[in-house]
Amino acid sequence: MPAPPIVLRPPDARQGPGPMPGALIEAIDPAVNRLVARTLPGGRRATGVGFGTELAQLRPYEPGDDVRHIDAAGSARTGTLHVRVHVPERALTTWLVLDISPSMAFGSSRRLKADVAEGAALVFARLGLRRAGSVGVVAFGGPEGPRVLPPRGSKPGMIALRKLLAQGVVPDGQGASAALGTALSRALRLATRPGLVVVISDFRDQHDWVRRLGALHLRHALIAIEISDPLESELPALGRLAVVDPESGDLVEVNSSNRLLRERFAALERERRAEVAAELRRLGVRHVQLSTDQDWLLELGRRI
Amino acid sequence: MTFADPLWLLALVLLPLAVLVQRWARRRKSTYVVRFPSARTLQEALATASAGRWRRQLPIAALLAALAAMIAGLAHPQVDQRVPIRGASLVLVLDHSGSMASNDVNPTRLVAAEKAANTFIDQLPSSARVGVVAFSTVPDVTQQPVTDHATAREAIDSQQAGGGTDTGPALQLALKMLDATKRDHPPAAIVLLSDGAANLGVDPVTVAAEAKRYGIPIYTVALGTPGGTISAGGPFGEQVAVPPDPQLMDAIARTSGGRAFDAQTADRLSSIYQTLGERLSTTAHKRDITVYAVLLAALLMTLALVSSVRTGARLP
Repeated sequence: MPAPPIVLRPPDARQGPGPMPGALIEAIDPAVNRLVARTLPGGRRATGVGFGTELAQLRPYEPGDDVRHIDAAGSARTGTLHVRVHVPERALTTWLVLDISPSMAFGSSRRLKADVAEGAALVFARLGLRRAGSVGVVAFGGPEGPRVLPPRGSKPGMIALRKLLAQGVVPDGQGASAALGTALSRALRLATRPGLVVVISDFRDQHDWVRRLGALHLRHALIAIEISDPLESELPALGRLAVVDPESGDLVEVNSSNRLLRERFAALERERRAEVAAELRRLGVRHVQLSTDQDWLLELGRRI
Repeated sequence: MTFADPLWLLALVLLPLAVLVQRWARRRKSTYVVRFPSARTLQEALATASAGRWRRQLPIAALLAALAAMIAGLAHPQVDQRVPIRGASLVLVLDHSGSMASNDVNPTRLVAAEKAANTFIDQLPSSARVGVVAFSTVPDVTQQPVTDHATAREAIDSQQAGGGTDTGPALQLALKMLDATKRDHPPAAIVLLSDGAANLGVDPVTVAAEAKRYGIPIYTVALGTPGGTISAGGPFGEQVAVPPDPQLMDAIARTSGGRAFDAQTADRLSSIYQTLGERLSTTAHKRDITVYAVLLAALLMTLALVSSVRTGARLP
């Protein structure tokens, strides 16, 4: 007998990310800047003319211009003083690669994994929108592939992100496989200018993401935020359980009182997480592990 | 093993039905599930650490086995058992006519017959009653069937060869001793131990037909070899041929529902008596083992109960 299709609503247990004191977010800013400094030349400036390395134009000298920018060759040829004006440094574009797969709607203690992911996304959006930066989002895990919000600055960017986050995660049983890898390659195509890419996921999707993350890392500063729940890695002894994979809808019946099984499960789960950590370390990606049972913002500030 | 009411075994069809119902119930129950993102890892763990899998099936398996045992109990299972016939009576009809003195069987026919009769008595269970009729011209020594085998043995051992062979009346006497005319006489058999032709009195085959009517088989043993002789005792020591009459013995046995044996040697005589001994003293008896089937069912049910308490608890 084929099992009936299982379609579940994600639990209405959204707590939201909780309080996010501005001071704490401020404190994270320098750390992110340090990370990004490797990928962008110089300090980041606002839009408009300014200082940089690329020549925008030569224009006649006006009082108040920096004499150091007087272009010798241009002045000699025209007979009047000319100064070089540069294309300003690009503003930082932050790409959030955000996991909205059904498995994110899970949480056993303070809040859902999706809530923590939401909080982390908001923190990096707020940091990214400073100094004329813009924020783009690649939300993956849905049935029709990654959803993309193009980079937008300031208020529009924040509004778009909040709108996306308000829609919550994908309903159960509609998860796509290899979604993380697909999302990363999409981000690789979209993020043309060097910037910051923040991957927020539970890294449960083991399919072909390491190589693409490495490719992203060549050009961008990368932060990988792994969100987990304590119950995911340790099975409590609750007798016989019928559990369902939120993403695939696969039903598994287990006897959780079986000590051997619990130990084996914990070992496999530890192994999986260690593997993720090892891959990220090998790529040199900043790896932050957030759990649903702790103050995630503090933890984020400490680890980044 | 046989079943007294095998029709009940049809109820075994219920077992696959029970399995189906259980499957269905389990399927229905699975609408209550826990969302668990690590389900895939759990499945892997289940594949590698599947020690608890058989235990999960134990309660239902034990329950089904209990059900099967109960259905088997309803069908009244019986086992065949060989039990001693309580109060079985045997009469050894021993010929001690003159021809039994022939020494064609070592040492003589009579001694061989006595020895074999004793062996036969030895093999009988103590509950069997043994009587003796010794005859020559007339049935002379009689020993009522009693459980004290020693008296029968005494009666056998004290025989001397001499006289004619009057088989018919001896058999009649044996039948009378076995209360053959009573309707519910205990199981009985006659062992006729003779060599030659009946040369006096009632035709033994007629008596055999009578025995058949009463349900008493006569097992016959023809003693001696065709070349057997005895000394006539005259001044010249003439030898008289005393051949056995196996045809007659055969007819007696066949008519009465017994079996005819011909013992050419003392050894064979003894072995014949051994098989006779088993045939006569025990019978196939069907013993009802319903109690054990029910007991087994109860045990299995307890097992199912205990194991389901251990493993069946499940989060709704």
